[in-house]
Amino acid sequence: MRRGLIGWSRDEVPAAVLEGRVARLQERMRAARLGAVLIYTSFARPSAVAWLTHFVPYWNEGLLVMLPSGPPVLLAAFSKRMQGWIRSVSHVGEVQSVAQLGATAAKLLEERVPGPASVAVIELDALPWPVAEPLAKALGPRLVDATALFASIRQPADDTEIGLAQRAADIALKALASVPPGADRSSQVLAAVERSARLDGAEEVLPRLAPDLAAGTALRRMEGDLALGERHAVELSIAYKGAWARVARCFASNPPSSWSRASSWTSDWATRVTVASADPPPGNIAFWSLEACVGTQPFSVLASAIGPRGSVAAGTLGCFSIQLQLADGPWLGGGTVVVGGEHPGRLLA
Amino acid sequence: MSANLRAERRARLAGAMAAEGLDVLLVAGNPWRSDYLRYAADLAPIEGHVFALVEREGRTQVVAEHPAEAKRFQAEQPELRVSWSTSPIEEVEAALRSFSRKRVALAPAVAVPYRLATGPLAASLASATAMLDKLMLRKSPAEIDALRRAAALADEGYAVFREAARVGRPEYALVAEVEAFFRSRGCPENFQILGSGGREVRGMHPPTERRLAPGDLVTTELTPCVEGYYAQICRTLVLGEPSEAQRRAFAVYDEALAAGISAVRPGATAGDVARAQNEVFRREGLGEYVTSEYTRVRGHGLGLYVDGRPAVLEDVGLALEPEMTLVVHPNTYHPEAGYFVHGDTVRVTADGCEVLSRTPRRLFSVPAG
Repeated sequence: MRRGLIGWSRDEVPAAVLEGRVARLQERMRAARLGAVLIYTSFARPSAVAWLTHFVPYWNEGLLVMLPSGPPVLLAAFSKRMQGWIRSVSHVGEVQSVAQLGATAAKLLEERVPGPASVAVIELDALPWPVAEPLAKALGPRLVDATALFASIRQPADDTEIGLAQRAADIALKALASVPPGADRSSQVLAAVERSARLDGAEEVLPRLAPDLAAGTALRRMEGDLALGERHAVELSIAYKGAWARVARCFASNPPSSWSRASSWTSDWATRVTVASADPPPGNIAFWSLEACVGTQPFSVLASAIGPRGSVAAGTLGCFSIQLQLADGPWLGGGTVVVGGEHPGRLLA
Repeated sequence: MSANLRAERRARLAGAMAAEGLDVLLVAGNPWRSDYLRYAADLAPIEGHVFALVEREGRTQVVAEHPAEAKRFQAEQPELRVSWSTSPIEEVEAALRSFSRKRVALAPAVAVPYRLATGPLAASLASATAMLDKLMLRKSPAEIDALRRAAALADEGYAVFREAARVGRPEYALVAEVEAFFRSRGCPENFQILGSGGREVRGMHPPTERRLAPGDLVTTELTPCVEGYYAQICRTLVLGEPSEAQRRAFAVYDEALAAGISAVRPGATAGDVARAQNEVFRREGLGEYVTSEYTRVRGHGLGLYVDGRPAVLEDVGLALEPEMTLVVHPNTYHPEAGYFVHGDTVRVTADGCEVLSRTPRRLFSVPAG
C-alpha cells in the first residue's frame, strides 16, 4: 500500500512515447471495430493505465476510456482538488473527477460511442463489481473482453520502458547492497532496503524475505521481526515511473562456493530461456517462473516449471525467479531480463 | 501474524455464518482491499487476486494468482489448502462445484470480480458483505490492543517525520525516512500522503520532488498498522516560526478536532461528529471550506482497512457503538494558510471515547535554518 515518489519526467518518459502506445492500441481497436476500450486502474492493478498515460492512482482507482481516436479520457475517483496533481503526473486528454466510475463511464459511452459497437474491457472477468455492474446493465452483450487484444501490443517492451526498468533494477541492487554488514534481524534488512530505494526515487518497494533458508524457502511479507538464519534470501520488487524490476539474492556470512556457480548458471539460463538450454544446472531446479507485464498487473506468470508454457515473445521485459536445490542446501535467485529471440537476451539485474 | 487474533476472528465468523445458515463463505481480496480476506482467513496479499473458501466447519481453501504468494500463505498457515493459478477465477469456479450441496455466499462487494458477481452466488453478495461489515465494525479487546499499538507507532512515526522535515529536502525523502522507521519496527504497511507549501496547496498527495522551503506548511497523515490494524495521525508543521495567519488557522482546526472528539459517544452518529467539527468552521465564517469542494471527509473508520466505515460526513446516520474505532480529522483548506490537517485516532467507549493518539495537538515548528 505504500507509494514513494510519483512524478512524470518528460525526459525519461517522452509524451511521444505514450502517444505512440495509445496509437497502437487505437489501431487494433479500429481493426476490431471496437467502439471503446475501458481500462481499470487501482493500487493493485495499475500497470496498463500507467503504460498508456503514466498515471498511477496511488490509493484510489480510475477508469481509462479509450475511443478509437483522440486522447484517452480518464475517469478518476478523486475529488476535483486532485485534478492539478493528476495532470502534473500523467498524459491524458479529458479528466473527470467522479464518484461512480462505472455509472459515469456508461453515460459517457452512451454519448460518445455510436450504434451497436462493442465496448471491450481489459481483464473484464476481474473488473471489480461496483465498477462493472452499471456497465453490464447499460451494455449487456456489447460488453466484451479485450485482454488478448491488449496483451498483443503490450510486449515487446520499448526502449523507454527498458530504460526505466534498468533504473528500477539499479535501485534494487543498490538497496540490497545497503544492508548493514552483520544485520541479523529481518527489520534491519527491510529498513535499509526501504530507505535506500525510496531515497533513490522508487515509486514502490515490495520486499519479501526468506529469513532462514535452513528452515524454509518461502519468501515472507514480514509482519513483525525475526532473527535471520545464517543463510537467508531477499526478493525486492521495485517500481520506477511505472516500470518494474525484481531481483532476488541469497545472503550468508560464509557463502558456499556453490552459490556463485548457481548465480552464474542462472544468469546464463535467464538470457537463453527461448534460445537453447544452458549447461546443466549446478543442482536440481525445484521451481522457476517467468513473469511479465501484459495486462493491468505489474507481473503475470507467462511460464513456469508447472505451467503455463506459452511462448514468450523476444524482447519481452520480464522477471524470472528460480529455486535450485544445491548439494549444500537451497538457493533462490531472481532477476529482470529482456527475453532473447534468435540471440540471447539481456540481463538488467 | 497473531494466531490468537486469527482464532478469535475465525470463531466470530463461524458464529455469524451459523446464524446466517451459511456453510461456506467465498471471500475475495487483493493488495488494496485485503481487509475482508484478512478478517476471514488472515491473508494479506501483496500481488494479484486471492480467494479464500472458508468452510464454517472445515479447512479453508485458498487460490492465489502468483506462485510466490501461494507458497507464502502455505508457510504462514500450514493448515490452509493453498493453490495458485494464472486463472484464479476459473479455479475458484471449479472449486465451488464441490460445494454444490452446501449453502455458499460471496463477499465483499468492493473486491468481488465481475465474473463471480454475475455467477450463481450473485444473490448472496449484499447479505454476506453486510455480515462481514458488522463483524468488522466493533472491535474485540485483542483488536483494540493492536490498534492501540498502531496508534503508538503512528506517534513515533510522526516524530521521525518532524525530524526529517528540513528545508531543501524533497517530499519523497520524508516518506523514505518514515517508511524505513516503520520497517525497523516490523510494520509492513503504511498509508501516507503529504503536502508542502503555502496558500496554493489545496490538499495532500503522494510525495513529489518538491523541496521544502522556509515558511512552508508541511502536512501529513500517517497510517501504520500492527497485525493488520491501522491507526492514523494527522498533523501540520511549519518550517520556521509560524506566522500569525498560520496560528489563527491552527486554532480553528484545534477547536474543531476537540469538538469532533467530544461528540464521539455511543448513540451519536457519524454525522454528529462531522457536524460538531463543521460548526466550528461555520462559526468562524469558514463554512465554505467544509464542503466537498475543499474536503472529502471529517474522519473515517479504522481497522483492517485504512479508510473504513463509517465515513464521518454530516449525512451519515450510522450510530456509533462502543469499541468502534475511527480517526477524527477536520482536514481542509484554509484561505489564509493553505491546506491544514489535524487528527487523532479514537476508540468509542461506554460513555464517550478514548483518544489513542498521544502526539500533542500543536502546530509544530521545526528549524528553517
